[in-house]
Amino acid sequence: MGERTARVFSWVAAAAADDGEGDGRISPAALCRAARTRLDVDGVSMTAMTGHGMHTPVAASGELAAELEELQVTLGEGPGLAAFTFGSPMLVPDLAASAARWPGFAAAARERDVAAVFAFPLHTGTIQLGVFELHRVATGPLATGDLANALVFADLALQLLLDSSSGVGRQPDRHPIDDTSRGRDAVHQATGMIAVQLEVGMAEALARLRAHAFTGDTPLSEVAADVVARRLRFRPEAEPDETPG
Amino acid sequence: MAMREQRVADTFVELADTLVAGFDTVEFLHTLTERCVELLDADTAGLLLADERGSLRLVAASTGQTQLLELFQLQEEEGPCLECYHSGQVVTLPDVSEVAGRWPRFSAMATELGFAGVHAIPMQLRTQVIGTLNLFRTHPNGLDETDARLGKALVDVATIGLLSERAVRHQEMVTEQLQTALNSRVTIEQAKGVLAERYSVTPDQAFTAMRRHARSRNQRLAEVAGEIIAGTLDVTDAVADARDRDRDHSRS
Repeated sequence: MGERTARVFSWVAAAAADDGEGDGRISPAALCRAARTRLDVDGVSMTAMTGHGMHTPVAASGELAAELEELQVTLGEGPGLAAFTFGSPMLVPDLAASAARWPGFAAAARERDVAAVFAFPLHTGTIQLGVFELHRVATGPLATGDLANALVFADLALQLLLDSSSGVGRQPDRHPIDDTSRGRDAVHQATGMIAVQLEVGMAEALARLRAHAFTGDTPLSEVAADVVARRLRFRPEAEPDETPG
Repeated sequence: MAMREQRVADTFVELADTLVAGFDTVEFLHTLTERCVELLDADTAGLLLADERGSLRLVAASTGQTQLLELFQLQEEEGPCLECYHSGQVVTLPDVSEVAGRWPRFSAMATELGFAGVHAIPMQLRTQVIGTLNLFRTHPNGLDETDARLGKALVDVATIGLLSERAVRHQEMVTEQLQTALNSRVTIEQAKGVLAERYSVTPDQAFTAMRRHARSRNQRLAEVAGEIIAGTLDVTDAVADARDRDRDHSRS
């Protein structure tokens, strides 16, 4: 695991362990709490979205963070929605200065003393699952280290959303967080191949690939390399076959 | 004007021309690696871009061998391209066998893949290094002075063209642009997988087909990739073409 990924992951794991009500597994709620504590921000939220305009709040570090997400849906504008639509982070260190872009949201945020918003799309290629959002009472950009950590938090948030669909995260003692920087191209290529093999969408293909890796306790990059080399095929409604040779 | 000088002049114009509608960052970086190989005394090139999480990602490589060597460095976290990124300085390696002491795994892998010389140029905007353009030679000895200077100039023009107009005022825009480019790259990888499975071709052949289609229709690569994934674009002809060319190539 990369140094930064390992560090961010340990923060999320610690936040999960601190949760008296939870079972110690990492969760979106733990991730939001960890980000709220470790980054120079005042609130954090995670929202699941679809391209068809559906929004589902997943977790938030507090009421205000949740409310800011709601507001954007109600108003139909804001950095979070823009990040999802354009697939690019929307870093707004001073909302007042960007009021022309989001007049309704900027005004509503000001009423709540929110001055800066940083929104990260939970996208990997054409897989688009939601948005991870930070807000702060004080204006100013994210420090360089905070920005790098926020991008890693967003990577983990994406993986949590993806795995919740395949049930991987429900296994106890398992923290299925991979360091996506290893064998990354092969993982994405394998995702495309599996989508054709199973006739499913990219998100499901990647979720299945990850589930296969984690249940077999094999590194994701190795399973992906096997798929790309055509040593491993996925078949509908069955366990993947090992193809000799 | 001599042919090469004309070609150099054209390339500078091409690399500076980034403020056009439908500008495609991934395609632009591929073009940069290709032009460097054409104009400089290098056999192949690769381009790594910083992902702002503290690691580098491969964005363009002119051959499969180059791709392997670049990915190998990223995985082993050693080698001249990483050194170039961390130091922000040009790193010239006339002979990879001479660095066996410093980067043993890199040296062995480069030799195995048939590379002898490496010349890594940082893509730098003010104090921020956003990536590296790496030139590889199959024969020892580095680039000569003229080529080294021209390579640096090409990379500088490309970096400024890529970032400064949009981002000279805002760090935020650099991040937004880099992350978008990296995500486009993921879409392209996913589409390579789709084509590789559907047509039983290699990922490289799939990429050649997508690129050719994008060029002939004047479309962005990531757009073509997105349509392939959505199932709204048929590239059967372009794939067949890429496969045939590969076959002819390996015969000759």
